[in-house]
Amino acid sequence: MKVNTKFIKEVKKYGAFDISACFNCGNCTAVCPLSKEDSSFPRKMIRYAQVGAEDKIESSLEPWMCYYCGECSDTCPRQAYPGEFMMSLRRYLISRYDATGLSKFFYMNSWAQNILVIGIFLVSLIFFISYNGDFQELAAKIELAFPAYVTLAIFMYVFTMYKKTILDKSKKFLFSFDFSNIKETLIHGLTQKNFSGCSETDWTRWIAHLLVMSGYTLTLIISNLHLLEPLKKHYGLLDITTPLVFYAAFGIIAGGFVMMGRRFLKKIQSSKFSHPTDWLFVAMLFLIGISTLTTYILNMAMGPDAEAVAISYKINIAIEVAWIIIIVPFTKWIHIFFRPMAIYLYNLKKEKQLA
Amino acid sequence: MEENKIYEKEHTINENYRQKPKVAVYVCHCGGNISDVVDVKKVAEELSKYHDVAISREYAFMCSSTGQDYIVEDIQKNGINRVVIAACSPALHELTFRGALQRAGLNPYLYEHVNIREQVSWVHKNDKEGATKKAISLVKAGVEKVLRQDPLNSIRVEAVKTVAVIGGGVSGMRAALSVAKNGLNAVIIEKSDKLGGKLNRSGNVYPTGEKAISVAENLSKEVLSSDKIKVYFNSEITFVSGYVGNFQINVKRKNGEYEKIKAGAIIIATGFDNYKPYEGEYGYGLNKFVLTLPEFIEALEKSGPGKFNYNGKDINSVSFIHCVGSRQIDGIDKPGKNGKINEYCSRVCCTSLINTANNLKTKYPDVEVFDIYTDIRTYGMDHESYYKEASKNDVIFFRRPLEERPSVEFDGAKIKIKTKDVLTMNEDMEIETDMVVLGVGMVPNDITDLVEYMKLPKSSDGFLQEVHPKLRPVEVANNGIFIAGTAQGPMDILESLQASNTAAVKAAALLASGDIPLDPFVAVVDEDKCTGCEKCPKECSYSGALTMIEKEVNGKKKKVAYVNAALCKGCGACAAVCEPRAINVAGWSLDQFDAMVEAIAKE
Repeated sequence: MKVNTKFIKEVKKYGAFDISACFNCGNCTAVCPLSKEDSSFPRKMIRYAQVGAEDKIESSLEPWMCYYCGECSDTCPRQAYPGEFMMSLRRYLISRYDATGLSKFFYMNSWAQNILVIGIFLVSLIFFISYNGDFQELAAKIELAFPAYVTLAIFMYVFTMYKKTILDKSKKFLFSFDFSNIKETLIHGLTQKNFSGCSETDWTRWIAHLLVMSGYTLTLIISNLHLLEPLKKHYGLLDITTPLVFYAAFGIIAGGFVMMGRRFLKKIQSSKFSHPTDWLFVAMLFLIGISTLTTYILNMAMGPDAEAVAISYKINIAIEVAWIIIIVPFTKWIHIFFRPMAIYLYNLKKEKQLA
Repeated sequence: MEENKIYEKEHTINENYRQKPKVAVYVCHCGGNISDVVDVKKVAEELSKYHDVAISREYAFMCSSTGQDYIVEDIQKNGINRVVIAACSPALHELTFRGALQRAGLNPYLYEHVNIREQVSWVHKNDKEGATKKAISLVKAGVEKVLRQDPLNSIRVEAVKTVAVIGGGVSGMRAALSVAKNGLNAVIIEKSDKLGGKLNRSGNVYPTGEKAISVAENLSKEVLSSDKIKVYFNSEITFVSGYVGNFQINVKRKNGEYEKIKAGAIIIATGFDNYKPYEGEYGYGLNKFVLTLPEFIEALEKSGPGKFNYNGKDINSVSFIHCVGSRQIDGIDKPGKNGKINEYCSRVCCTSLINTANNLKTKYPDVEVFDIYTDIRTYGMDHESYYKEASKNDVIFFRRPLEERPSVEFDGAKIKIKTKDVLTMNEDMEIETDMVVLGVGMVPNDITDLVEYMKLPKSSDGFLQEVHPKLRPVEVANNGIFIAGTAQGPMDILESLQASNTAAVKAAALLASGDIPLDPFVAVVDEDKCTGCEKCPKECSYSGALTMIEKEVNGKKKKVAYVNAALCKGCGACAAVCEPRAINVAGWSLDQFDAMVEAIAKE
């Protein structure tokens, strides 16, 4: 293995500022409740990064097995923050799996991402307000375009990840159709079950994540299936959409609130270090929740024809446009796909005995 | 040779030893250590019937104050004039009991210590009867010996109140300054024309970060301005003679003049040498970019600002290899010229290498630094912080397995180091580097002549050896000779200074009173019996201790053996070859041994 010192410098750009302090004692791995013999981290990953074993890192599933309990960072005798290193590694991998190179650009230049998000939001909003046609029809088209765009983006990631972790080694396409593997993958995806894998389950963190995730998934379903037509229909308490929208908004706002609070307080290892993209992510989620809820409540109170409903709805769609285009494919959000994916690939590797 | 006065210190207060012998025997229980196996009552009873024994007692702890009081009382009130104590090893309490005799006014050498613990009860646990019998015969032999014992007086040698320090490095300078502070004179004998030794080429030193050369200069100034210290520069020692309190060191100056230096004690501060890699060891000597640590320190000191340029090449990465010439393993490492490998750890190289790596990073932050070690031993107070700093400085560490050696290969202008790395799950690593620095260890300086002149003991590693690492850490077996610093083994500057101070204080304490007490167990010659056959001097291992002299005995001039009490170690080699029994070791005469053997054989 050739030693490459440039690699660690690259990873450090994603946040792992103190990892050079690591002297490879392995306390982090010893205390990590999620590390397994055949999926060992953080020490192994840190060492690969220190000596610049780029290929080994990019074909590793370990970064996704880490749920940032923070026990490693608490235990580290050198204050090297292995937990934050694993987080940085995930950011690094996202940008490596992204064929467009935009992820990397955004991670390195968070200001550009902010400007772009605000720009897209403003341009969309101005366009929506000046639009003379039937906005409800336009919104339907926009919302229907989202799934196609997101699917394309996710497919790109999934394929790169599959290629680096499986295909490059096996040289042929391998898949697992084992029912228990698929079941496990789905359970992990839906419940983020490994949050309970930390020695002390951080219930607040897990519930906040679940609230945000379920609320957000629900919002996606509502908008992608175009279930809401606030400019055409007048919604009441008894409509089926009402509990859905209220739950989705509540989940996002409550969960987002907890997450932001913790990032401010910095009491827990996982919320000590905030990358600018983390803030943007939480802020945007919040805005989506609030604008959806406001539109819905205004519609219930004033009916579909009210000017306030139209403006609120246009703001809501403009936020969603910026979110879908910039934030979904290129930053943190992608985690929720990588984690279950990693479980699936881990089991696949085991099944096919791929070293 | 001019000699200092040797005289005896009179111990005898009570002259009653001239009277009919009255022996007291004391059998100690040692709190069960002895009495659990040996029937001490029976021993005491048997001995009470033995000839010339006036008192025979047994007691739980003879070394206790009550036990000692028995002895004093028996001597003072019951006219006892010789004492035998059957107890533990004399190494433990011989001096205790001699003190009791002295307090009672009896010559402390009219006393025999019989070891019935280590030599009887502890080794014959399963044979109590046999043990008791053995104890009885040993104590009887003790009585026979003490009956033939002469009162002895300890010998005192007048001492020259000057300490000679060999070597003017940091240890030598410190030792001389300490000696001077203690009110004695010091003489530094330095072979070069400058004080400071290795310090003059050591870059900056941990843990203070000072320039080594300025430390050397400060000490040197202090030494040269002291009116109690004389420094002989450019001086080579050609011979050392004499004994504690009265050494003579012959010195050859650069101008060819000879000088004789007199000293009461000698401190050896001859320091160490750097291990010199053989040609091809990690590429040394084959490529000008493979350097030893001292060479690198010098190169780094000389290099200018901007880019690190060495020998016309811009250096972008430097690799340090630990344990070169240290912690060698038989069968893996090539032995040195003496056919030996260096198994010891040189102790200072880890911190020194890492300190240098940090200095390199401070001067040229962009240079990549690799460090290949097997154990990091930054053991000293706060040395760990250097290691920590190196990590933060992005030094990349590789840990080779103990029995593996990295290889250094040259591929055109490129240097490649290949090593197995424990930290990367034992994978084979390949490091491309512009320069290799070998962390060479310490080896003993070549002081063969001094070792020969003074008969100095050396350890298996080739460094000078102390008597006991904890109990007598800076003394060698030869009286009056002390070691300071790395002549004794690898030490850092701090440790060397501590050793130097200890050696200086030891030397000063030895010479402070102006005379030196010695054990009286030396050879004595019965000049009437001596035939002048000259067999004994040939057997003597201590040069100058035993010589033949012309002397008038009983009005006739004759050749007789002469003992220098200060040099004699009391080994008895002379007594063994003397047919007429004219020479004997005081306190251990052949007549005494005869009587002891007879007492034991009688049973």
